Amino acid sequence: MEFTPENKKKIEEILKRYPEGKVGRQAALLPVLRLAQEQFGYLSEEAMLTVAQVLDLSPASIYGVATFYTLFNKKPVGKYHLQVCANLSCCMEGAEKVVKHLEEKLGIVPGETTADNRFTLSEVECLAACGTGPVIQVNENYHEKIKTPEDVDRLLEKLR
Amino acid sequence: MPKVTIDEKVVDVPEGTNLIEAARLGGIEVPHYCYHPKLSVAGNCRMCLVEIEKQPKLQIACNTKVAEGMVVKTQNPRVEKARRSVLEFILINHPIDCPICDQAGECKLQEYYMKHDLAVSRFPIEEKVHKDKAVDLGPWVMLDMERCILCTRCVRFCQEVAEVNELCVSERGDHSTLTTFPGAKLENPYSANVVEICPVGALTNKDFRFKCRVWFLKRTESVCPGCSMGCNINIDQNEGEIHRLTPRVNEEVNEHWMCDEGRLTYKPVNQKNRLRFAKMGEKDLHPDEVLRAVREMMTGVDPNLVCGIGSAQFTNEDNYALASFLKELGSSHLFYHRFEPAHPSVDDYLIKADKNPNTKGVSTLGFKEIGGDRRFKFFFVLGALPEEALNRIALEQQKKVILFNPWDEETVHYADTLLPVGTFAETEGTFTNCQGRVQRIRAAFPPPGEGRPVWQWLTHLTRLFEKPAPNYTTAPALFLSMANQIAAFRGLDYEKIGNQGMLLKG
Repeated sequence: MEFTPENKKKIEEILKRYPEGKVGRQAALLPVLRLAQEQFGYLSEEAMLTVAQVLDLSPASIYGVATFYTLFNKKPVGKYHLQVCANLSCCMEGAEKVVKHLEEKLGIVPGETTADNRFTLSEVECLAACGTGPVIQVNENYHEKIKTPEDVDRLLEKLR
Repeated sequence: MPKVTIDEKVVDVPEGTNLIEAARLGGIEVPHYCYHPKLSVAGNCRMCLVEIEKQPKLQIACNTKVAEGMVVKTQNPRVEKARRSVLEFILINHPIDCPICDQAGECKLQEYYMKHDLAVSRFPIEEKVHKDKAVDLGPWVMLDMERCILCTRCVRFCQEVAEVNELCVSERGDHSTLTTFPGAKLENPYSANVVEICPVGALTNKDFRFKCRVWFLKRTESVCPGCSMGCNINIDQNEGEIHRLTPRVNEEVNEHWMCDEGRLTYKPVNQKNRLRFAKMGEKDLHPDEVLRAVREMMTGVDPNLVCGIGSAQFTNEDNYALASFLKELGSSHLFYHRFEPAHPSVDDYLIKADKNPNTKGVSTLGFKEIGGDRRFKFFFVLGALPEEALNRIALEQQKKVILFNPWDEETVHYADTLLPVGTFAETEGTFTNCQGRVQRIRAAFPPPGEGRPVWQWLTHLTRLFEKPAPNYTTAPALFLSMANQIAAFRGLDYEKIGNQGMLLKG
């Protein structure tokens, strides 16, 4: 597994933003992991090892960071990755009901992907849109105030 | 130096000292889990919260540096309440499996619970989060994730001391898990140190697990015999069986650590094939009989045919006694041998290529490395040495070998007389490490059978020869005589050497 030449160039650019040495390479880890996810689709162990090699950091330290953030996928995801915020503000607005409805509708639980590979459901940490919860991030886009089963159905309809 | 007041006590401490260390200097213990004096500050356990005058919130002592005039309270009701709350939080998912936990008896959770909390749990046991119980992290370390309080001391040890980053905390919240990269192992040469710095029973030593309850262990301060570094250690034993060696702090030598290889050096002490009785040929003999026989054998012998082969594996005292004995016989032929492994491990920290604890000592005492001088017929030898080494100095001759050895080994068939002596764990004496630091080892228990120190055998033998020296009754007395005779040791004694060692002169 290797980064494309363009991505290698991008990594060089990223590294220039930070101080030289280990501290700088550690700082570059998050943007480089994003690049890896973009190119490889998700962060497999192999992908993490590639990042470790490119940044000369230990595999364990990369594993710690990659598994900490819900925005990094450690398994392949479907065409649409439904990431429902499960933190306090969204839950008070009904996020739990939203997840329940999605589970019934798609026949999967958080962490799973539908058989047709169309949807992956995840519960994620705060998406920083507390004023407009519950929030579902679909791939890179926010869908806000998804409160009722009808809201969920409308969203799914758009994605069919 | 800033003056701070801690619990009404004024302490004068160096600039940059944190409050845990400052309190320690004042004789006050601030409870803590994640802080370790040799690791960077993480500040995640929150156990060391203290009150600082003019600061509205409690502060963590580990990450607060002293400032002139600071007034700190470590045991008022507000601090004590915070401590109880932190402890309750840390214990929420604790599995309370102390009866089968190896850490029980030396566990900071138990200690602080007894000292600072003693409350009944408000958390129902059936609602606790369960995690993996016996995770094999590597050759030395087993992880119990339910007991882990995520202090990250082990993670920081791997990063900062072993410099390998083998461990990390994965996931987050109550899913947080201490782990290696999937499929990788915790296998750096210092890995077992994480067991001692783990304040709870999460990381246990696979070599020690379920062997002995820690409250049955008796501790003896000693020095690791594994290489010429001479890391300071504790011998933990019960009824003459050693269960583990743990590092003992010596900032000048090994700081707080020791290598994994060194932890195995106790195994030969527990071995079944210990030499228990003096032997001539195949026969076990009474010590007096053997010594009389040696006396007879040596009668009228030309001193120039006699040589002493000391050992870099034996103490300064044992080697010095051998030198004194030979001097009385009229021989000054002193050689020494070293144990040479085929592929010695080595690094630029604590692991030295020379796997002998006392090479520096034995050479300081005037012994020379075995060469090609072949005139000798009578050998007084400390410790088994390869026959090849003996042959190098007396190939074709009919030899007489009097060997002092802790083990009854096949490989020492060349010895005519075998005299049982103690291993490092059964010996009072000193080693001189590669820095020239003279360090004391202490006997954790007596050697098995008729085993006794080399110097004691030689003292008895000397009496049979009606010579004045060596004539010693204790190891410290012998050391004093050595300090008088050998310039490099001048001025030293056991008292001064203490448990941290002293450098040789020059």
